[in-house]
Amino acid sequence: MFPGIEFFVTLIIYILIFLIVTLSYNMAYGYTGVPDFGRAMAAGAGGFLCGYLPGRLMAYILGIQGDYLQNTLSIVTEVNAFLKENPIISIALLVLTLLLAALAGGTLGLLASLPMFRGLRLFYLGVTLLAIQIGFNTIAYYWEPLIGGPLGVPVPDPFRWLTNYSLLGVPPASMRLIGVIVVSGIVLLMVSYYCISVGRSPLGRLLKAVRDDEKGTETLGRDTRKLYVKVMTVSYAFTGVAGALFAYYGGYVVGLHFDRVSWTFWPVAMVILGGLANYKGTIIGTTLFIALRRFILLYKAELEFMLPFSPVWLEDLLLGIILILMLIYRPRGLFPEKPEIPLSREEIEKIKEERVQGKR
Amino acid sequence: MIPPLFLTAIVFANIIALMSISCTLALTRTNVPNFTAATLGTIGVYISFTCIKLFGIGLYPSLFFCFIGGGIVGIFIYYLLVKPLRERGATREELMIATLGLDILLIALLNIYADYLTRTFKIKTREFTLAVYDFTVGGMDGVLIISTLVFLGILTALHLLFTRTNIGIAMKALGENPSLAECQGIDTERLCVITWFLVGALPATAGGFYPIYWITNPTISLFLIVSVFASCVLGGFATIYDAVAGAYIIGLAQTVLVSYLAKITGPWILPYGFFVALLIMITTVFLFPQGLYGLPWDEIIKRIQKIFISIKVQWRFKRCSPA
Repeated sequence: MFPGIEFFVTLIIYILIFLIVTLSYNMAYGYTGVPDFGRAMAAGAGGFLCGYLPGRLMAYILGIQGDYLQNTLSIVTEVNAFLKENPIISIALLVLTLLLAALAGGTLGLLASLPMFRGLRLFYLGVTLLAIQIGFNTIAYYWEPLIGGPLGVPVPDPFRWLTNYSLLGVPPASMRLIGVIVVSGIVLLMVSYYCISVGRSPLGRLLKAVRDDEKGTETLGRDTRKLYVKVMTVSYAFTGVAGALFAYYGGYVVGLHFDRVSWTFWPVAMVILGGLANYKGTIIGTTLFIALRRFILLYKAELEFMLPFSPVWLEDLLLGIILILMLIYRPRGLFPEKPEIPLSREEIEKIKEERVQGKR
Repeated sequence: MIPPLFLTAIVFANIIALMSISCTLALTRTNVPNFTAATLGTIGVYISFTCIKLFGIGLYPSLFFCFIGGGIVGIFIYYLLVKPLRERGATREELMIATLGLDILLIALLNIYADYLTRTFKIKTREFTLAVYDFTVGGMDGVLIISTLVFLGILTALHLLFTRTNIGIAMKALGENPSLAECQGIDTERLCVITWFLVGALPATAGGFYPIYWITNPTISLFLIVSVFASCVLGGFATIYDAVAGAYIIGLAQTVLVSYLAKITGPWILPYGFFVALLIMITTVFLFPQGLYGLPWDEIIKRIQKIFISIKVQWRFKRCSPA
């Protein structure tokens, strides 16, 4: 069975959204060495915000009466009908939500990294964040006022207006997916530009210095704790946006959507597979893993007969095995980090020549 | 008569304490942040389950197999994961991620094993308890007596091991400076194997008690790990005694407090039970990140003594002064 076009569209969306997560994670772990196991929390902050805010906000603006959670389906249907006819409001709602998702993610990042000011060791931070993340997901899953508890809530669709159009033979019904791809692509470009710029700047080299020798960097007068907090805040903000995009793409949010395996451990494996502090590696690692996961999901029925166990566990088995093997045999990833030279080759040659001639 | 709630809390504290000791031992003796402690407990659950359901071994005799089985898994983890990573000079953060990967792998394997048992032997392997296999003595559940005895026995044995034997003292040296310990002629390899045997055996034994009171499935470690980490952080990840103190505080607070709150607010609060552990953990991280171990106990005791003395003086003064 060859996968259809829907499979590849979904694959592209997943790759784009997860690239935002992994690029930002690479900044935290790859560049700065923060073992952050709370990333699912940031994605959840963005996703749950989409489940909580836009529907209520639009219901308020449109004057729709009734309890939101009890009538969520009818209210969101009404909101979607309005959004379908109002592209400008749809875009405004999307931009506003993405900004708020970044704010929510960033705030969580700031709060999560605050213990660093108390001199907390990185290992403690990893342990604490993992535990806090479990708590966060439990609240999202059980606390009904947030996103309806275990049942979840539908999310208003700011891409619905695109279904009024058709472009290059794409049927109107699929246009919203094109919209998701375009918006995710734009966000990814912005995040990539920021991350690559940071990586090439003196700040990027400082972050690497912190990762390689925290005490050494401190003796040179740098406040490493402030750096940790800044990196965590920014990278969590980006992940928050990814979570919001994922919620808009799915059109429905449940507490289980932003679980620690998919949004924390898989991104860790993606970054480690590609190579730390290396954006090319992160992109390849993410693409490979996402494709692998989607293909497992696609061929689940076929795998059922081939494997001696349920393919449900195959993903976790692979994740665990790949993580362990990579850390043992290829800890620098498929594309190991290259030493960065702050000056161009010509400038270095010029300095060398000057040294030889005794001018320096 | 002790309320049954406290008895449940003691059993829970015993389980958490054994897991926390394992976690602390892995970190302090071999410098490995072990995220698999709770999942090793789940392995104990399924060893016990297999012994009872398939081989007809009693609940408490199966604990012996939990201890040995868990220990063997611990040794496997050492040889297949920890040793290769240490040999290539992995950082503590890398070791931490590796044990996380192992944790996911073990949970998947446990699920596969549970599926296999259900398919082959037609037995319920999820959402089960083993309460029917327990006994009662004078109105008290056997699990309370046995878990407390096992916990105290293990704690005493570990105390004697670390203070009275050469191996225990060498293990301390290994934890403090492995290179120096090796220079002194200590066989660090053997000590690491012994440590990892204990790291696997203790939580697996604790896991054997878990299904007697609580509904069990292969993913119980996802929530247990919060309580275990909270105990270790509260203890300070330093000594086994601090880990035990942390575990008892967390275990008692989590069980008793949540049950009392459920009586007041309703049962909706029960799924948030582990939040007590989480809150204690966050408070510890913010207020005294070194945990109980790092607290200036001499100063605290002196202050408490001063407060008592001042209360005593005031009380005497009140008694002596005319009304």
